[in-house]
Amino acid sequence: MNPSIFRKSLLVCCFALFLAFSGAGLQPAEAKTTVKVGYIGPLTGGNSSIGLGARNAAELAIMERNKNPGGEYAFELVSLDDECKPNIGVQSATKMAADKSIFGAVTHYCSAVALGTVDVYHRFGLPVIIYGAVHPDITYAHNYPEVLRIIGTLINQNQVASKFMLSQGYKRFAVIHDTTDYGKSHKEFFTKYITEGGAKVLAEFGVTADQQDFTVELTKIKSLNPEVIWFAGLYPQGVRIRAQMEKLGINAQFQGVSGLKSDAFITGIGPELAEGCLSFLEGSPLEKLPKGEEFMKAYTARDFKNAPDAMAPFSYVAMSQIMDAVEKVGPDRKKIAQTLRAIKGEDTLIGKVSYDDHGQNSEPYVSKYVVQDGKWLVWEDSEYASGKRNLKK
Amino acid sequence: MNRVAVFFSGLPGCILPALLLLAWSSFFLTAEDQISVFLSLISLAACVIVAVRMRWGNVLRDSIAAHERLWDACLIAIMLALLVLFREDHYSLFLLGTIMAYATAVMGLNVQLGYAGVLNFSCASFFGVGGYTAAMLMAGTGLPPLLTLPLGGAIAALTGCVLLLPVLRTSGHYAALVTMAFALLFRVFLDVSEWFGGPQGIPVAPLTIAGLDFSRGISWGDTEFSFYLKYDLLLLLVLCLAYSLTRRLERSWIGLALDAVRSDEVASACFGINIQRWKITAFTLGNFLSGLAGALYAMMLAYISPANFTFADSLLFLSILLLGGIGNIQGVLVATVLVVIIPEKFQVIQEYRYLIYSALVLLMIVFRPVGLLPRKPRVYTGNPA
Repeated sequence: MNPSIFRKSLLVCCFALFLAFSGAGLQPAEAKTTVKVGYIGPLTGGNSSIGLGARNAAELAIMERNKNPGGEYAFELVSLDDECKPNIGVQSATKMAADKSIFGAVTHYCSAVALGTVDVYHRFGLPVIIYGAVHPDITYAHNYPEVLRIIGTLINQNQVASKFMLSQGYKRFAVIHDTTDYGKSHKEFFTKYITEGGAKVLAEFGVTADQQDFTVELTKIKSLNPEVIWFAGLYPQGVRIRAQMEKLGINAQFQGVSGLKSDAFITGIGPELAEGCLSFLEGSPLEKLPKGEEFMKAYTARDFKNAPDAMAPFSYVAMSQIMDAVEKVGPDRKKIAQTLRAIKGEDTLIGKVSYDDHGQNSEPYVSKYVVQDGKWLVWEDSEYASGKRNLKK
Repeated sequence: MNRVAVFFSGLPGCILPALLLLAWSSFFLTAEDQISVFLSLISLAACVIVAVRMRWGNVLRDSIAAHERLWDACLIAIMLALLVLFREDHYSLFLLGTIMAYATAVMGLNVQLGYAGVLNFSCASFFGVGGYTAAMLMAGTGLPPLLTLPLGGAIAALTGCVLLLPVLRTSGHYAALVTMAFALLFRVFLDVSEWFGGPQGIPVAPLTIAGLDFSRGISWGDTEFSFYLKYDLLLLLVLCLAYSLTRRLERSWIGLALDAVRSDEVASACFGINIQRWKITAFTLGNFLSGLAGALYAMMLAYISPANFTFADSLLFLSILLLGGIGNIQGVLVATVLVVIIPEKFQVIQEYRYLIYSALVLLMIVFRPVGLLPRKPRVYTGNPA
């Protein structure tokens, strides 16, 4: 009949065939019993660099385990995308949790997603370890035996941060936070701990995540003359605020949260202005850990397309713990959840891990960082700690 | 050809494609690995191509037009059959529920854009208003939960009134901009208002009707039905109501007036049609349907946050309408199935899934810019078959 329709249909068929065969035939044959484990995180969208890094780390843990001749089980990864959206997250979580052949999963970077999905995991009884979402309610709003979290909550981070600042003798704070869940919950806990410690919050400003100009906020802050400007948000805004502080001649100490600790902050603003800025981050730096270097080596050796990014070690450890549990009690969701809960003081890549009665890792180590000569240094190693240099007063 | 036409015009013409559709969709819904996902897509493409080459499409279309009630019944039967088939498969039931909720919302958008020609780039916001209304009413008041569904729609329609004036006073690109602005405002508003849970979102209590808890499964003899089944049945009911409402609206003189307003405002004003009245009617009714669907969807999801109702989601609703063919609600049904399920099934190819999905959308635009099932012109004389 119509030759053009025929040609078009041929084209579509070829395209579809190409798709069908492009990814097939990757699974190796295994003699051991295969057990499926899962991963859910943002694989597409704005947070995908974190999500892909963490997925690769989970995959790395599994590949290493499968290469190891010991052990009864071979593991297979099922990974799904949550796009950092709660509705897609619930969809993926339902898919994974309802699949009885999956026995444990490492899940979620975004708090809003994790808050929505914990009920799903509980309903279907799938043991999960949350690797990257930091909102306290994810573990503390309920007591689901299936839900564990390896990363510290932002409560821990702010406890450490406020204690540190108070010990440095700071008393007068001006607070800027972005209006996302991240910035807001950080603000809630930081101001709480800091006022409990006897310091004063002079002013609070909520800014949207894409605000460019902070002149209004900073002018007000300048008139209040605080010792510290504390900012809860991510580094792109940190760059703008720090630069505009300089422009307005505000000579206060600049302190951020975990979202500030990125090399892009220093390159964005130049080492001079970045000098002495503070940040706090969960976990010890990889190079400080005995197995950190090994992990980086293994990761780079695998030729993944994406950098590990911040959450990869957490995902790696969580996946290893799930596989350990499977080896110990076999593929049984209930027993796996119990075994995971019972982990106390395990030495891992990210330091010691113990789960408390809410499944929260109760030994989250928070590191303090300061910029010195254009580099983020752990506080204890810096010349600031040794007294050679001084923070602004 | 004549015999084919005779064959297709009766009940068997309905049963055969319906069975094929049922078999295909159940296979596609359970497809897990790459090979079966792509096999099912290829088989669908092949079927469509063969049907087009053999000119069965027109026959089928005439059959649908001539026996519409039969076809509607068939579609409901297919849906029910799928629900029974997947009674224990939570995930598939959840997807089916999502499809029905989205389809209902797009029916609303269809009344606005497809019939009256009122541009609305904030459909997801009204969907969200419905969802948040349900969440707040269930948490804060003792209202019977079933009542929150129509209230979700009503509040969405009421919220739409904010936009009435700018939508009526602008046209074309400007009207589009106004609704876009609303979608962005809605997101920011939710982000900063603690009362609505802020950016974190809020949990939505499950629906209970006359003591029947929708968050629990049903066990009947040995079989354990998923709790999503209840939501799906209710969503099916709502979808059927929305479908028959829009269908009747389209056929009535109201639909005629709306068509006239869309085609030529000046001409219809000359014929004494009150343009503003019909634009308001269409806009409000459309928002009501979107809000209603949103309320039920939120209850099924049990947790909502502003990230679910962004401008991008509004574009998704719009793309469903464009894919299906603007103005044709049967097309909406088909397009919703594709738009919801294909990205989900492409999870097997991980981070590349949206790449492939976008490629498919592009192919679609190149080969069939009018949509899968474009709306037919009205026929007034004789038997449309």
